[in-house]
Amino acid sequence: MTKIEITICTGTACYVMGAGRLLLLQDQLSDRQLQQVEIKGCNCLGLCKQGRYGKAPYARIGDEVIAEATPDALLAALKERLAEWEGD
Amino acid sequence: MADPFIEVDFAQQSKAGQGAPGDVFVSKRLTQEGGLVCVLADGLGSGIKANVLATLTATMAMKYARSDMNIRKVAQIIMATLPVCSQRKIGYSTFTIIDIRSNGQIRVVEHDNPPFVLLHGDRVQRVSKQDFAIETAGLGLRRLFYSRFQAEQGARLIVYSDGISQSGMGSRSMPLGWTDPSTVGFLTNRVRSAPDISARQLCRAAVAQALNNDGHTAKDDISCAVINLRTPRKLLVLTGPPIDKTRDKRLGRMVAEYPGRTAICGGTTANIVARELGRSVEVDLRYIDPDVPPASRLPGVDLVTEGTLTMSRAAELLKNRTDPEQLRNNAAVQLVDAFLQSDIIEFVVGTKINEAHQDPNLPVELDIRRNLIRQIVGILNEKYMKQASCEFI
Repeated sequence: MTKIEITICTGTACYVMGAGRLLLLQDQLSDRQLQQVEIKGCNCLGLCKQGRYGKAPYARIGDEVIAEATPDALLAALKERLAEWEGD
Repeated sequence: MADPFIEVDFAQQSKAGQGAPGDVFVSKRLTQEGGLVCVLADGLGSGIKANVLATLTATMAMKYARSDMNIRKVAQIIMATLPVCSQRKIGYSTFTIIDIRSNGQIRVVEHDNPPFVLLHGDRVQRVSKQDFAIETAGLGLRRLFYSRFQAEQGARLIVYSDGISQSGMGSRSMPLGWTDPSTVGFLTNRVRSAPDISARQLCRAAVAQALNNDGHTAKDDISCAVINLRTPRKLLVLTGPPIDKTRDKRLGRMVAEYPGRTAICGGTTANIVARELGRSVEVDLRYIDPDVPPASRLPGVDLVTEGTLTMSRAAELLKNRTDPEQLRNNAAVQLVDAFLQSDIIEFVVGTKINEAHQDPNLPVELDIRRNLIRQIVGILNEKYMKQASCEFI
């Protein structure tokens, strides 16, 4: 099974708005979840300049952009995706 | 052959329990003539009073030495002007003045400090000195040593206060203290085992050893300065995308061809260079700092960091003279470390304004990045005696 990719933007605007906390997401994951996810950083997702995605900090889970991301929001999005996988 | 770079650094440990160091070291580059002047002064006693005396002496010496006045005359004036303790018949401060030109010509005037050490590689070079006795009103003769010599690339000049040579005095292993010969032996050993040792590393090693001799409680102010005539270590720092895309190629070329270490501060800038080099940037999540974004890796570049936040923090650390070795290992600390381990630092600043954190309607002079870099360049030159410059593209 391919891992679910979570990319967290570590650019200036995102970091000011709290991306640092998002990078600690793995501490909130269970061992099982950790095996199914890959958490990466990206130095610039280029989303802050576009305006239409909402506010920083940004993260991407698969193809979906999460604006004003919080650890809880990411966790919820991750669980939803994992449930989809399991459901199949 | 190009003139060697004059690297200067200074390390110090105040006497235990004192609010201020009684030794003062000042250095200034001579921008017009090339070269620099430095002064080490050891104030009588310790604490704030000694600090004031030493500062007075050092400042006066620096001012006169930078003028075109004959350096011996400078010393005579200082000795005539500054206060002398009538009871102990000694000056209220010692001084060593070093005038070093970019062609390697060095002149030194010494009064009451331990003699300076001149090393070429790990060999001590003897220097002949003229001995002057200066009559000071009612206090008899005070001695001054004057030397003038030529130093080559690879030479090191070390000056230290008696807190170094007298460290450990009274202890069982060193009843007479470390002594000058042993101190010199230590310095030559260090250079022998690390021939490329920087001025920064050497002066800190000497102070650390002296503090060790004192059982980790400094019995006097311990100070050491090292001047190193070296091939400069160069660092290129790219920050900010160029004003137009046609210049992106130039960034890639600069990094590939640079004769030294390279650093990039800024995600967009890093992506541009990565694209030009045909490589990719990877964020390093091994160390996560609450305030400073994580650094990244890009093959071919020594350090990649985020831009504004990291450089702001680096500027703060430089201003406060915070020692990078004693801090958490975030990208700003790594950047400061890179600065301090280099001699010539060239900033190439892209002038495309980042709309995500700057109102494009504001005048360009208020550009955060530009002002930050100017600040950093100023601090590196004035406080750390580096040769930093910036170019805008």
